[in-house]
Amino acid sequence: MAIELQQVSYSYADRSLWKLTALRDINLSVPLGSMVGIAGATGSGKSTLLQLFNGILKPTEGTVKVLDVTIQAGEKSPKLMPLRRRVGLVFQFPEQQMFEETVEKDLIFGPLNFGMSLEEAKARARQAMLDMGLDLALLERNPFKLSGGQMRKAAIASVLAMDPEVIVLDEPTATLDPISRAELIRLLERLCREQGRTIIVVTHRMDELLPYADNWLVLKEGSTAFQGSVKALADDPSILEQCGLTVPQSLRYWRAVADRFDLTDEAPRLTAESLAELIASLPSGSGNSSEQHEGKRDDYE
Amino acid sequence: MNEKLIIGRSIETGSWVHKLDARAKITGMLLYVAVILLSRSWMAMALLAIFSIAVMASTRIPLKYFLKAAKPLRYLMLFIFIVQLLSVKTGEAVLTLGSWSIYEGGLRLGAFSVIRMFFLITFTALLTFTTTPGKLNQGLEGILAPFKKFGLKPDRITLMISISLRFIPTILDESQIIMKAQASRGADLKELPLKEKGRMLVSLLVPIIASAFRRAQDLVYSMEARGFRMDAPRSQYHRLRWGIFDTIFITMFIVMGIAVALV
Repeated sequence: MAIELQQVSYSYADRSLWKLTALRDINLSVPLGSMVGIAGATGSGKSTLLQLFNGILKPTEGTVKVLDVTIQAGEKSPKLMPLRRRVGLVFQFPEQQMFEETVEKDLIFGPLNFGMSLEEAKARARQAMLDMGLDLALLERNPFKLSGGQMRKAAIASVLAMDPEVIVLDEPTATLDPISRAELIRLLERLCREQGRTIIVVTHRMDELLPYADNWLVLKEGSTAFQGSVKALADDPSILEQCGLTVPQSLRYWRAVADRFDLTDEAPRLTAESLAELIASLPSGSGNSSEQHEGKRDDYE
Repeated sequence: MNEKLIIGRSIETGSWVHKLDARAKITGMLLYVAVILLSRSWMAMALLAIFSIAVMASTRIPLKYFLKAAKPLRYLMLFIFIVQLLSVKTGEAVLTLGSWSIYEGGLRLGAFSVIRMFFLITFTALLTFTTTPGKLNQGLEGILAPFKKFGLKPDRITLMISISLRFIPTILDESQIIMKAQASRGADLKELPLKEKGRMLVSLLVPIIASAFRRAQDLVYSMEARGFRMDAPRSQYHRLRWGIFDTIFITMFIVMGIAVALV
């Protein structure tokens, strides 16, 4: 397991008048090399959960196991530096994550801290820029002078430059244009499937991640509302509505097709192309009566 | 970091002190400072302590929060005590160590200074604990209103104060987020050696100041976008209302002042 949470709760300002419980009794396991999506309404504890994954926050109750490091509530945690090299966290707001004067300095900050040589760090920074589809000329620019989309990509690049085994992203596609969004998701998929990295993504746009994620975690007011495979989620997407989310279109279309043709054992097709292919491959005459109506209409013409 | 910073945060319990007019509370605090300066005997100190604790308790805010407000200044209090102890040489010698002597007068004045300071801080914390920053500002504006005749612009002053106060938690939050971002990328303040720590803190300053300027700029735009003009007459969300309890509150301090001056 890459990440394992056992009965984890987290409260901000614990033991004070301003105590605010963000997470309650979360159990979670993320297998190595898998891609996990996390969804939930605003304020459901998603961002807090992510910060537990690299020890930025320590659980107020329960145990967090990340790779070979165990962080237990109430106990002194081990040195977290080695863990943070292996778990990269992309924060929700890129302008809060960039702090150096130039993009390059920001990108090599992590690699240098984790003991890479300057040459190596710069090479990794360049590679990360290219991976994110950014122009290398931007390396010399001040990160705050970049456009919103470029800043977002640079922030992701600064984490990719650390070469982490587990990559945790908090709404990485939020301020990106549609093309960059699709590219980023493809990049994450490549990192996961080809290089065996574990990818965890918090998203409000479930549609774009649904075709790729292995598992989903849905949070509701700090507790787990759903945890399981895409198949389980596709079988009963109504749980999303109970959590204050709208059911993504891809799930709705899949449900409509699956219900009509009674496809209980099929793997869900969650892209337009794969769904079209499936519909085309269905034997004619299967399903229900409405198709016969269509046949009759053909006769009239 | 925010958990420790309790000065300047209001704690809502709905007690009678919370409902008082902010002007009454500010005046009360000024009178309290006078009372503290007037108290010069053990008897007066005892009266002061009973009065202060009684008023603090009546806010229904746990007393430990008042104690926490004084905690950051504990070393200063200790320092003042030691200085008084060693420098005042009146009364009988209580303890002699070689050529050094500690006198009864020094002990007494040292203790008084510490008690005064302690109550000054804990009690005045009551003002910010029971008053939201907005109301506090309005109260200040009300108190400064008579000075308009002398060319003072109370609304400008209070606007400046309210914006600066509003920025403190924002900047603290921001620095915490940047520290988190740095920790995520291998520079955790808690795990660095002392020398590195200093370097990291300095490297924090630039982005934090830069972001404070960005925020100020955003604030100016958003105020202008909503038609804010300086010196334009504006209606107020909360009206200041002076009631019977406000008069009682002020009277309490005056009576206390007289009592302390007499004993």
